[in-house]
Amino acid sequence: MIKVENVKKAFGPVTVLDGVNLVVNPGEVVSILGSSGSGKSTLIRCINGLEKLNAGRITVDDFDVSKPKDLAEARKRSGTVFQLFNLYPHMTALQNITLAPVEVLKRPRAEAEAEGRALLASVGLGDRADAYSSQLSGGQRQRVGICRALAMKPRYLLLDEVTSALDPEMTAEVLDILAKLAAGGTTMVFVTHEIEFARQISSRIVFLEKGKLLVDLPTAEFFAETGGLAQPRVAQFLSKMRKD
Amino acid sequence: MLPGAGRPGGSPPPFDPLDSPVRSVTVKPVSLNGARVRLDLTILIPHLGFLAEGALLTAEVCALALVGSVLLGMLVAIARTSSNKWIGRLAFAYVDLFRNVPFIVQLFFFYYGLPEIGIYIDAFTTGVVALSISGGAYASDAIRAGILAIDNGILEAAEVSGLSKRVTFTRIVLPIALRTSVRPLGSVLINMILTSSILSTITLNELTGQAKIVASDTFRPFEVYVVLLVVYAALTYLVSIGISLLHRRLNRDLVEQVS
Repeated sequence: MIKVENVKKAFGPVTVLDGVNLVVNPGEVVSILGSSGSGKSTLIRCINGLEKLNAGRITVDDFDVSKPKDLAEARKRSGTVFQLFNLYPHMTALQNITLAPVEVLKRPRAEAEAEGRALLASVGLGDRADAYSSQLSGGQRQRVGICRALAMKPRYLLLDEVTSALDPEMTAEVLDILAKLAAGGTTMVFVTHEIEFARQISSRIVFLEKGKLLVDLPTAEFFAETGGLAQPRVAQFLSKMRKD
Repeated sequence: MLPGAGRPGGSPPPFDPLDSPVRSVTVKPVSLNGARVRLDLTILIPHLGFLAEGALLTAEVCALALVGSVLLGMLVAIARTSSNKWIGRLAFAYVDLFRNVPFIVQLFFFYYGLPEIGIYIDAFTTGVVALSISGGAYASDAIRAGILAIDNGILEAAEVSGLSKRVTFTRIVLPIALRTSVRPLGSVLINMILTSSILSTITLNELTGQAKIVASDTFRPFEVYVVLLVVYAALTYLVSIGISLLHRRLNRDLVEQVS
């Protein structure tokens, strides 16, 4: 379980997260919606320990990310996929995937490579194992990024606007894979602007506004007139996003 | 008046290899300020072994100093990008000091200064150490620039995947930094080879030192230093080729894309 308790985070004078509470249970897909600057990405970055909290507590399976001793365990349990892929440019797709399993989990190289190849095949990149990041399209890079996170066998997958840098066709490539993962029971925290897709795969939807968690409802209720849409800010956001 | 100047129409004449001024230098003696200059390399034949000894010594000193300065440069680059304030300051002080003092002064300090306080180091070791320390200051700059140019997102990806600092540095930071810094690093190393000629001033008879001896023995400095020009150029050219190959290797993903 990922537990976010009363988390506050400020960058200088700007408060980005203002008392956020959130629980993600194993098996859930929780989508985080909100306009740019609402704190969505910062929340993900707090969960994987890239940002220090100003107040509050985040635990991943009871490991406190603010405690250096616990952070390594917490990070083993969560995998992050980034908006701009962040692949290691000097390594092939397969090397990107096997580096952490071999170095951190101490898996034998041959095993890690076999698993890496299987992962690549499962996202339709079986023949690109030896390609470098610069030789892959954006959609392919992001699929490698997903494989790299999955190779650590995380219990939770943290997805930070993973399709924002992709064109619609490549976005579809990546979303297809996420849909499969969701159907397979992978627990995900999904920061996104893809509202329709979030509606299809999410068990719950959370709406952030100016660092505050405005709505946290099961998907069907979120889109119901009496549920999330009853919040004027949510209704406004959804109508605007759908128009675009 | 230059040949071709004053030609009507002002356009340069078409290039005629038979008319090339270079050709005339190699065939017959040229007259400079009325003195007749002749390039006769055969007079150096008896001294070739002696000069080769010097060249070998230069190569040895430079090879050791190359390793020394790159290792030192890496350590100092790590220190300068360190989050520890004092380590960073110490590294900056080192780089500032050795970049702002002439190499020959550093060398004299090590070789003629230190014995005054009871530290005796032989000329060869002094040469290698002085070149490494001075080259390391410049090398750290090149490597540090490469480290600072790395996209922070890549480091974050390494961090969240749980890689240790050591593994992150050796497997990710350093190889990516070298992709960009290998060329400036090459300039540093070439400069170091050129600087090694100064070691002749501390009794280390490397190539330049031996050449000075041959020049004064034969009274033919023109021939001796022509050979020296060529040998140094060849030596540094070899290093540039090596650097280019390394650059290609480190950037192989981009090279393959182009070809």
